[in-house]
Amino acid sequence: MDFKFGEKEEKLRKEIREFTKKELPPGWLSSMLEEESDDKEWAFAMSMSKKLAEKGWLTMSWPEEYGGKGASLWEQLVYSEEASYWGIPGVTMGIGGVDWVGPSLMMFGTAEQKNKYLPLIASGEPDGIWCTAYSEPNAGSDFAKIRTRAVREGDEYVINGQKIWTSAAHRARWCWLAVKTDPDAAKPHNGISVFVVDMKSKGITVRPLMNYVGLHIFNEVFFDDLRVPAANLVGKENNGWYQLMHSLGYERGSIAGRCYGYNKRILDELIVYTRGNGLFREREIRHKLADIAVELETQKVLGYETVWKMSKGDSPVYEPSRDKVFNDHILERLAMLGTEILGGYSQIDPLSRNCKWTKLNGHMEKLFWLFLGFAFAAGTDEVELNIVGQFGLKLPKSY
Amino acid sequence: MDFDFSEDQVMIIDSARKFLEKECPKNKIRELKEDEKGYDPELWSRMAEMGWMGLILPEEYEGTGMDFFDLTILMEEMGRNILPAPFFDTVALCSLPILEYGTSEQKKRFLPKIACGEEIWTLALTEPSASYEPSGVELRATSLQEDYVLEGTKLFVPYANVADRLLVVARTSQEGITALIVDAGSQGIKTEVIPTTAHDKQCEVVFDKVRVPKDNVLGEVGKGWEIVEFLLQRVSVLKCAEMLGGAQFVLEMANSYAKERVQFDKPIGSFQAIQHKLAEVFINVEGLRRLVYEAAWNISTGSPSRLLTSMVKAKANEVYQQTCIQGVKVHGAIGFTEELDLSLYFLRTKASEFMLGDTGFHRERIAVELEDYQPLFMSV
Repeated sequence: MDFKFGEKEEKLRKEIREFTKKELPPGWLSSMLEEESDDKEWAFAMSMSKKLAEKGWLTMSWPEEYGGKGASLWEQLVYSEEASYWGIPGVTMGIGGVDWVGPSLMMFGTAEQKNKYLPLIASGEPDGIWCTAYSEPNAGSDFAKIRTRAVREGDEYVINGQKIWTSAAHRARWCWLAVKTDPDAAKPHNGISVFVVDMKSKGITVRPLMNYVGLHIFNEVFFDDLRVPAANLVGKENNGWYQLMHSLGYERGSIAGRCYGYNKRILDELIVYTRGNGLFREREIRHKLADIAVELETQKVLGYETVWKMSKGDSPVYEPSRDKVFNDHILERLAMLGTEILGGYSQIDPLSRNCKWTKLNGHMEKLFWLFLGFAFAAGTDEVELNIVGQFGLKLPKSY
Repeated sequence: MDFDFSEDQVMIIDSARKFLEKECPKNKIRELKEDEKGYDPELWSRMAEMGWMGLILPEEYEGTGMDFFDLTILMEEMGRNILPAPFFDTVALCSLPILEYGTSEQKKRFLPKIACGEEIWTLALTEPSASYEPSGVELRATSLQEDYVLEGTKLFVPYANVADRLLVVARTSQEGITALIVDAGSQGIKTEVIPTTAHDKQCEVVFDKVRVPKDNVLGEVGKGWEIVEFLLQRVSVLKCAEMLGGAQFVLEMANSYAKERVQFDKPIGSFQAIQHKLAEVFINVEGLRRLVYEAAWNISTGSPSRLLTSMVKAKANEVYQQTCIQGVKVHGAIGFTEELDLSLYFLRTKASEFMLGDTGFHRERIAVELEDYQPLFMSV
């Protein structure tokens, strides 16, 4: 048993802290996964992606030949923790660029695909930005039932259909697209394929979907006779489900640290804020802060456990779902406590950052209005609990 | 960072589990509920032969010199099986403070007897105020020549009915609290078992002009609260490990039942209402496990954290209780009966929660730590 990080990780931690001090504006508080909504913030995020790429951190887990550093899982964890604590924007290269597109291409892509797309992601340039299109109006949690269809015609596939909740589609250069290639497969999972799609292609329409606070994060994406070269198929035809499940493991390692770092920062901000205005002296408030502090410490060590299992070569099955559910609970509590602490000020529109009455950069309001969206993204709580029950507790499949 | 157990630790876990399953089955636990002593002396000596009482005492005191983490995982097994015996009281609450604060004379005199299983000890700290604050200590120790004279009442003293010695926390002056080692057979001590729901032999101990030689002061006069803090900041992790073991077992019981029990032609565990309940419990038990290990490891390696220990106790209190409540719900009406083993665990949760601080107590201690702490974003 050993709960200590190694020298390498501690050194990296220090370097990242120095980096944030130099590169982020004073008093910077991250804008939390909404960078794609605002042109100015997007530009800042892209400038940071570039700097992270120059440091070799952006894709540190990747092998050197693809622009990475071959960093260990523990180094990645430290990087994720620190980056999200300090709110460094631009770490993901859109939705999935760093976390699953790159790793999937390394596992299943052709040499040509690897040589073309991986350096683009690793460069931190706008041409390395991805969106990920899985969900459809009739296939959310039940993802295998997607209907967007790709039909082979000579050296091309012709794609027709619609995706929804596609975050960052309006910023992305490429789309990581899941489609049906065999609608008659005995099991719907066996008829899915993954394609790389150039977002500049003819036949793609991106329609903004505003969320209820007015942020433009996700979109509907329509495909009308979109023609994609057959060379853009990733891996084997009809093998997409397996490939996606496999690549999820990569994403999971970084998520634990990212969630913990972000939550820890929010808690720290709330502690400082309530100490400043005297609310901390109220037993009810300080006890709620104490309770959340316990949950965060628990989240931290659970995330470490997931990474530890991965570092031993195990492929975690239920742990990422467990960590996701746990994080959703924490976000909800933080959002509720954060706005309770702000009281009347929590009514201020989080988008009016220049309002003189805005507290904590509008961060608590933003968290409150966005936490439900995070709870749906990448699997609802209910779906994640199904996975925990089925694979963690070996209970019968419940859905 | 490495969460693997060492080979020695795996051995501790395996041998403890086998031993307890064989020597302390559930019917024995039920019998001991009605037993006057509340523990089995024969089992106690066998535990001593296993080296458990002296597990982390140095060899010079007849111990085996293992570390705090090793004791933590042993406690987890005891919680998993339930061990109705004054082990935590003797070893955790008394031998560890003696090891930490005792004079070499006291250590030589008392520790080997504990290690060999010859003596049972317990901590007499809480009083009718049922508080773990210093203000709760009202029992007076008045200096009289070579002795102190104790006058007052201690409440919820585990296993005082069978203890050979008591570690008594007393008030020696207006501000001063002192820990004293007291022979349980001293004149003027009256012990009565309190009828707790778990029948776990917690006692009221009345001290009526009990004389204790001044040589029996543990640590310094007037600084006895440091010893209580030692218990609150470190030893409580061992209680949490015991609670973790219990919670794990209750979860396993409920999970097996959900797979076996068929209603509407399906195992009830295939219904999300049941499955999600269990999944939430599972997540919390796994979280508690890592927290307990983190705190125990920190203590083992010489960097205990007041904040972390309070976090662990607060979490353990909540998780153990919730696990039992959800466990009963999954079982339905059978969960409500005496015959189901789950009841043995559930009925013990109140004692565990209270021992070394309930949730509100530790929440406040966490808050006190947070009040002074320097957040990272302000320090860089």
